[in-house]
Amino acid sequence: MDKLSREEVLHVAHLARISLTEEEIEKFRGELKVLMDDIDKIKDVKDFDDGMIYTPIEDNTRLREDVVGEMLSARAATINAPKKNGSFIEVPVMINE
Amino acid sequence: MSEFTPTIGIEVHVEVKSKSKLFSNSANTYGMATNTAVNVIDLGYPGTLPTINKEVIRQGIRACKVLNCDITRKMHFDRKNYFYPDNPKNYQITQNRTPIGRNGYVEIEVDGIKKKIEIEEMHIEEDTCKSAHRGSVSLLDFNRAGVPLIEIVTKPCISNSKEAMAYLTKLKELLFYANISDCKMEEGSMRCDSNVSISKDDTFGTKTEIKNISSIHNVGLAIEYEIKRQEEMLNNGEIIREETRRFDDKQGKTILMRVKETGNDYRYFIEPDIPYLELTDEFINDSLSTLPLLPDELREKYSKVGLSSLQIEKLINNRPLNGYFLGLLSYKTNYVTAVNLLLSDISSYLNKHNKVVTDTHLSYEKLVSVIEALETGDLSNKNVKDLIDSLMETDKTLDELKKEFNIENITDDTFIKNIIIKVIDNNPDSVNDYKNGHDRALKYLMGQVMKETKGTVNPKLANDMLISLLNK
Repeated sequence: MDKLSREEVLHVAHLARISLTEEEIEKFRGELKVLMDDIDKIKDVKDFDDGMIYTPIEDNTRLREDVVGEMLSARAATINAPKKNGSFIEVPVMINE
Repeated sequence: MSEFTPTIGIEVHVEVKSKSKLFSNSANTYGMATNTAVNVIDLGYPGTLPTINKEVIRQGIRACKVLNCDITRKMHFDRKNYFYPDNPKNYQITQNRTPIGRNGYVEIEVDGIKKKIEIEEMHIEEDTCKSAHRGSVSLLDFNRAGVPLIEIVTKPCISNSKEAMAYLTKLKELLFYANISDCKMEEGSMRCDSNVSISKDDTFGTKTEIKNISSIHNVGLAIEYEIKRQEEMLNNGEIIREETRRFDDKQGKTILMRVKETGNDYRYFIEPDIPYLELTDEFINDSLSTLPLLPDELREKYSKVGLSSLQIEKLINNRPLNGYFLGLLSYKTNYVTAVNLLLSDISSYLNKHNKVVTDTHLSYEKLVSVIEALETGDLSNKNVKDLIDSLMETDKTLDELKKEFNIENITDDTFIKNIIIKVIDNNPDSVNDYKNGHDRALKYLMGQVMKETKGTVNPKLANDMLISLLNK
């Protein structure tokens, strides 16, 4: 199979929370397949699970001491939020039961 | 009896006690003003880098020990990807492939039968922000974002709601006692999800997950409701779908929730910003060196020094008092009297003044001298009540306080004898009860003697004399 199915592309789009036009769906059916084939090649690498393959660092236990540092004010913490409500950041409702 | 067998697995998240958060140095605290225990790492700003809090790894090691898990020596963190406003990075840093603990168990007892609830794995992860839903909007407070969590996942080995509740009670006791978490379900520092399925044979049925149940009692109710709901569905020929539900305690039933991503949709991959960790023997042993004695070890230790099971449970439920009592065990004294004092007059004082015992001036030496004086009768229980404030608030010795309060119990034999004769004459029924073997009558008569003398006689002397006169 040289292309992903339409449903597979739509599923990936849903996970990324984006909507696609019909042309884009068709385009990504081919492009995503190429990408997935490349990922499969990585999976074939021997000893993929060996820790050394993803970190070359020798000293493996560098940990931060449990000390509290500087923190932001509520104003600074919310300064880039598109919408605020008092000191809270306001977003569209998250639950849908 | 139902033809279906339920299978239950439980996932518990506990907030880990530490000063700072898991990957940032902002405060791990509860109750601060909204969005003030926060820094740019917690808010997921681009370009920020997480660093692992040493104390959280230590706590994870302690949790492994307490829950009998194998400790993973070489581990890494993973990204769990999903879009949701409670986590602006769009991924949660967790442990997917190398959880810190595996293959543990918690032993429970239900209706006299012991059972090991097997723990599949235990991993460290960051909490998300706290959201409150108001009509068409959600309000976000990031104080909780990045708070360290330990997630404990059992195997599907729990058979009913009683076992589930016993497991959670024991888990809470262990983690609280080991000082790993406060385990306050009402404040959200312990949260519980249950997976429930039913089947007629050895294969597992389709499971439903019940999220965020707010108390151990409600876990029991939610499981019972869900088992019944699934039984009715299967009996009606309906198909159970794998879904996430929540328990509404007002309605007493589980309700279908929105379904989020599951399994592969999370696209886990190794967190590239955090180097892998390798735990040395030295680091593990050092972490475990501060682990306090656990409840079952305490129960065994305390029963050996003669405490009753009621005293033991009361002591274990009061961690500061228990810590103090443990220190007293290196002194030779009457431990039963010590616990009686700790749980009565001393506890009353501490509750009244909202203090813990280590904040007071009650040294072990002073407590031992009070116990000795009670044993010899140099001090009565009433005297202790009179002296309690000074015992707790000053460095004066018991002898100094006795002088100051003019406490010298009457040891005049003739005086005490006359009082006892009067009490015996006035209470013929109690005397008869005593002679018929009712020990409580002796306590009553002794109480009358103390009442007559306003608690000023040497109680040991009076008690011995009362028995002697009654037996004549």
